[in-house]
Amino acid sequence: MPELDDKRLSFKLVYYGPAQSGKTTNLLRLHDLLAPEMKGEVMTMETQDDRTLFFDLLPLGFRAPSGLLIKCRLFTVPGQVAHDGTRKAVLSRADGVAFIADNQRSQETNNAESFRSLTENCARVGIDIEHLPLLVQFNKCDLPTAVPEAEIRSRWGSTPWPLQFASALNGLGVRESFATLLALLYRRQNAEYALAEQHGLSEAAFVAGLLGQA
Amino acid sequence: MNPSGFDREWQLGELLDSAQLSRLGAALASLLGGDCAIADGNGQPLLGHIAPTARRQAIALELEPVAILHSASADDRQLAAAGELLHAVLRAQVRFRMASALHLEAIAEDFESLKREHAHLLESEARYRKLAAELDARVKAQVAQLEERQQMLYEAEKLASVGQLAAGMAHEINNPLGFVRSNLASFQRYLTQFAALRGRLSADLAAWQELDLDFLVEDGGDLLRESDQGLERIARIVGDLKAFSNVDRASEAFTDPNDCIRQAAAVIEAQLPAGISLQLDLLPLPSIVCLPGHLKQALFNILRNAMQAITDSGQPGTIKVSSEATVSGLYIRIRDTGIGMRPEQIEHAFEPFYTTRPVGHGVGLGLSTARSIVLAHSGTVSLSSQPDAGTTVTMTFPAPP
Repeated sequence: MPELDDKRLSFKLVYYGPAQSGKTTNLLRLHDLLAPEMKGEVMTMETQDDRTLFFDLLPLGFRAPSGLLIKCRLFTVPGQVAHDGTRKAVLSRADGVAFIADNQRSQETNNAESFRSLTENCARVGIDIEHLPLLVQFNKCDLPTAVPEAEIRSRWGSTPWPLQFASALNGLGVRESFATLLALLYRRQNAEYALAEQHGLSEAAFVAGLLGQA
Repeated sequence: MNPSGFDREWQLGELLDSAQLSRLGAALASLLGGDCAIADGNGQPLLGHIAPTARRQAIALELEPVAILHSASADDRQLAAAGELLHAVLRAQVRFRMASALHLEAIAEDFESLKREHAHLLESEARYRKLAAELDARVKAQVAQLEERQQMLYEAEKLASVGQLAAGMAHEINNPLGFVRSNLASFQRYLTQFAALRGRLSADLAAWQELDLDFLVEDGGDLLRESDQGLERIARIVGDLKAFSNVDRASEAFTDPNDCIRQAAAVIEAQLPAGISLQLDLLPLPSIVCLPGHLKQALFNILRNAMQAITDSGQPGTIKVSSEATVSGLYIRIRDTGIGMRPEQIEHAFEPFYTTRPVGHGVGLGLSTARSIVLAHSGTVSLSSQPDAGTTVTMTFPAPP
């Protein structure tokens, strides 16, 4: 849940998905692509053969017209099946989730399995997935083995979640995915924290503030 | 942030305890030319005294300062270098703290999962135990039912062989019956001839009268007539039995169903106890191709049930058999004024071996057999009944083409 004191409002966004689908790559590219008022370094916890063991963390922030510091902390979960306890701990208290799927046909089962674990873990840590800002990104679209976009759209079209197609390694679709998730987050939280009324933040300003387009 | 969560924003006081801080502070002071004070992100001093002239260097791990380094004795370059060092130390610390906190959370989470799985296992074990107990009970019940049915089957076969025996006996009785009747008729003639002797004796009747031959001739005639009536009854019973068991007509025949009703009724009538009457109300029926013996068996079974139903009611009653032919088919209705049936009895009435009577008093094949027979004749049989209001069984056969 968001954390609010008189000077700052902090959101936690989690990049979830199967092993090696590109969650950390998303974070690294966002660090390069975004230019918000405040941007921390990517904190990468120990990795083993390029795979996340604990989590990665990218902090971003900007000041609203009211002076409130809006912070967004982006976490990744470890994708490997064995680390489910860690994944659950990272997921807990999340305000939004970007599900990063590996868009290769051979990975469809892993994607489905990971998505199932997301819904289960949400239930376990007390997150109502019905109302959770959730974006689904199909990554690695540049690979020749990628499933065509039309096929994905016909299969996922009936779900309530926005879809994004990306090639995180090349920096494509990463920023758009994040922007989409931010818009969802704003719509979910605006009323509760009076972002527009008290802090003079429209949806566009909120997204732009964190992307660094202001 | 959750104050205990790994993902909280760590404060300086949590990252370095006072011993670590003072060791680090002493080292930094040497590098900074003597003066060093460290405050947390909110400006609260944790180490040393902040001189009014001190330069300050903020150190951020994420976005906001987590520590502020102060020194009055250092120049900007020294302060920046010391800040870098402090940053590196804090960064290592926060990585370590976050990882270990997350590790603890994950372990707790895994432990919770294990506990949940354990609870699931216990639950499913209990469920399987219960299931096993239920299965055991069901097996026992089925075995008991099988044993009971076996007993019934045995009795049914016994009954069938008794029927065959009766049919055979009826056949065998017919022969002696024939010659006994013929002999009795001859004897009647002999007695008449013997009576004629009285006329011939005319005067000397002393011996005749002494032997009371007048009575003998008269009573002998009565005895013979009575015996003849008895034999006639025997002959009729045997005839009914033969017709019923259909020893002589086991194949299909072109028959008036009303004849079958009359013959089945004749058999049951002989068994009716006092207080039960049988009433036939038969309209003309077309003859149909059927197995008359079987049809009579079916009718007999239903009539016998009707009789028992009235007997069970403990009151006098009537069995009414009616028949009629309509365009849609031939209808035979057997209505009794007996105890009737409850809905659950009706539901099971046509099942083989379903009986409400104790073992040895009916095997529960009557209605089942009757239905099989009617079905074999492309007919249907239905039953309507209410407790204490009697039962009506309706047999329907297709009209002959």
